[in-house]
Amino acid sequence: MVTQNMFTTETATLSTGPVTYRKGGDGPAILHIHGTGGPNHSTVLDELAKRHTVYHPVAPGWDGTPRHDAVRSVSDLADIYADFIRTVIGGPCDVIGVSFGGWIALWLAVRHPDLVQQMVLEAPAGLRDPGTGGLPVDPDELHRQTYARPERAPPPSRTKDAYWINRRLRDELGAGISLDQPLLESLPKITARTLVLFGDKDRISPAMPAAHRMRLGIPHVHMTYVYDAAHALEFDQPEKLTNLISAFFERGEGFLVRSTAG
Amino acid sequence: MKFCYFHLMPWTDLDEAPSQWPASNASFSPQRAKELYDGYIDSMVFAEQCGFDWVGCNEHHFSPYGLMANCNLIGSALAYRTRDIKLAMLGNLVPLLNPVRVAEEYAMLDVMSGGRLIAGLIRGVPHEYIAYNVNADESRARLREAVSLIIKCWTEPEPFGWEGEYYQYPSISLWPRPWQRPHPPILMSASNEESAEFCGEFKAIMGLTLIADLAIARRSIDIYRRATAMQGFTPPPEYILCGYNTCIMDDDAEARHTLEEGQRYFHRVLMHSIRDAQRLVITRSRYFGQDQAGETFVKRLVALKERTIDEQIEAGSVFCGSPDKVIQQMKRVHGELGNGMFNLNFKIGNIPDAAVTRGMELFRDKVLPAVRDL
Repeated sequence: MVTQNMFTTETATLSTGPVTYRKGGDGPAILHIHGTGGPNHSTVLDELAKRHTVYHPVAPGWDGTPRHDAVRSVSDLADIYADFIRTVIGGPCDVIGVSFGGWIALWLAVRHPDLVQQMVLEAPAGLRDPGTGGLPVDPDELHRQTYARPERAPPPSRTKDAYWINRRLRDELGAGISLDQPLLESLPKITARTLVLFGDKDRISPAMPAAHRMRLGIPHVHMTYVYDAAHALEFDQPEKLTNLISAFFERGEGFLVRSTAG
Repeated sequence: MKFCYFHLMPWTDLDEAPSQWPASNASFSPQRAKELYDGYIDSMVFAEQCGFDWVGCNEHHFSPYGLMANCNLIGSALAYRTRDIKLAMLGNLVPLLNPVRVAEEYAMLDVMSGGRLIAGLIRGVPHEYIAYNVNADESRARLREAVSLIIKCWTEPEPFGWEGEYYQYPSISLWPRPWQRPHPPILMSASNEESAEFCGEFKAIMGLTLIADLAIARRSIDIYRRATAMQGFTPPPEYILCGYNTCIMDDDAEARHTLEEGQRYFHRVLMHSIRDAQRLVITRSRYFGQDQAGETFVKRLVALKERTIDEQIEAGSVFCGSPDKVIQQMKRVHGELGNGMFNLNFKIGNIPDAAVTRGMELFRDKVLPAVRDL
């Protein structure tokens, strides 16, 4: 059984600077792009690592890692992940983007379609209406809106100060944008088959109209509601997430077909 | 005040109570059933001419208690034989069914009727869980998820998947979508405190049935109002629907006698084996999340069965008598509960259809004009 302890921490040198990442498992590569708060290791990663090699990089500047001068926007950050795929993974792979990481993943798939085979977006940011959703400032409210099943929330993996450093970096790169218009207009460039997941109780990244926008813009896309989940899908419903992501990555379009034939 | 004409479509020809649940269908006659369906549907169509705002029907299984395994079939017949009256399906027992199918059939009915559907999304009485072999412990959780899914089916503008605890669908896209936007009004049963809270949470119309005590009913309404307030919603009066067995005849004695005979058949024959099955589910499952709710349910059934007609009138459980008396009774209940809708069942047990029709005429001519403005 692969567990968090069996992930190793390594550092790669990209053209713009160093990137720390965790790596675990064996099999076709999955790149997992974390959200605003920084990497949070869920059991979903452990499960995926049973049949995949999971790469879980720390975005430059997050959790005290060195910032890269070249990174001034979300799309710049997407380019860093493209470099990571080329340099560390060695070729195209499947991608998971979580929340803010979903926004990055969308840009990655727009700007580097040759590097993204299939993509899962968990409550992606970047396409919601201004004035809707967003991360609450009050910590208690943030926790309430993040988890539909608070008993499944992970213990804090960083201090509050560290969280806020990460969050300010996100705010800086996201430039206060809720609806990334250039991204919206570029969605048709995405060639990766995409599965978009939203918790039915998510108020931070409400499904509508973001899902509608992706449905209209991305050529091959499916959207699924995960019941009894808020924003932190991997923690609220880890088994469902594992099953959905595994089926989508391993069976492609066949994930629509219920069958024991594989 | 608005009114719904409700029909259970009972089988009226049994001489003896079924010995056990489910009731044997050995004596069932399709020809007789055809006569009953024809007459019952005629009666429901007639309700529109009598000034009723809604016509209602519901779903029951494996029993002469009601001949509607799927009330949507009756609804579709009514859609083409009525013009303006709302079609209240009270309702589909969603934890027992495929919720996507429920959403589809309701959407069809809403479109076919030009937006006249009231969509009952009901948990179902306990014994129905034996009929369809669904875990009664899961009834509330299944209802919650199914209702959430059905609303999504009606409102999502693009295809979507659903990964739930009880229901999983990789891709859903309803054809047709409902006529009414964002979706047809939803009605849920709210006959105990737990369900009243649930109903309010979904901002649904609350349906109160089997009222044995007006004070208990009022408590459910208060809970419902508090739950809707939490959602920032103030339900209009017609969102509180109170169900009543009703017998209106030209004079009080005739009405009492008619209702007494009908109730005798109802309790002695139609309910006989159902009570055993209900008791079984209540005692052998966690159908009622709160133990007290199960006891209350059983006590309520016993109370309704054992009371005389006068006691039932006094308790606010039935409407029975001449038009003047029924008007007084309706005013009293409305004064106590503040509801804006009555759901009236005239066909109790084997009350003759002619008596039902006469009651409807008296309702139209004498009762309704006096209570419409309540």
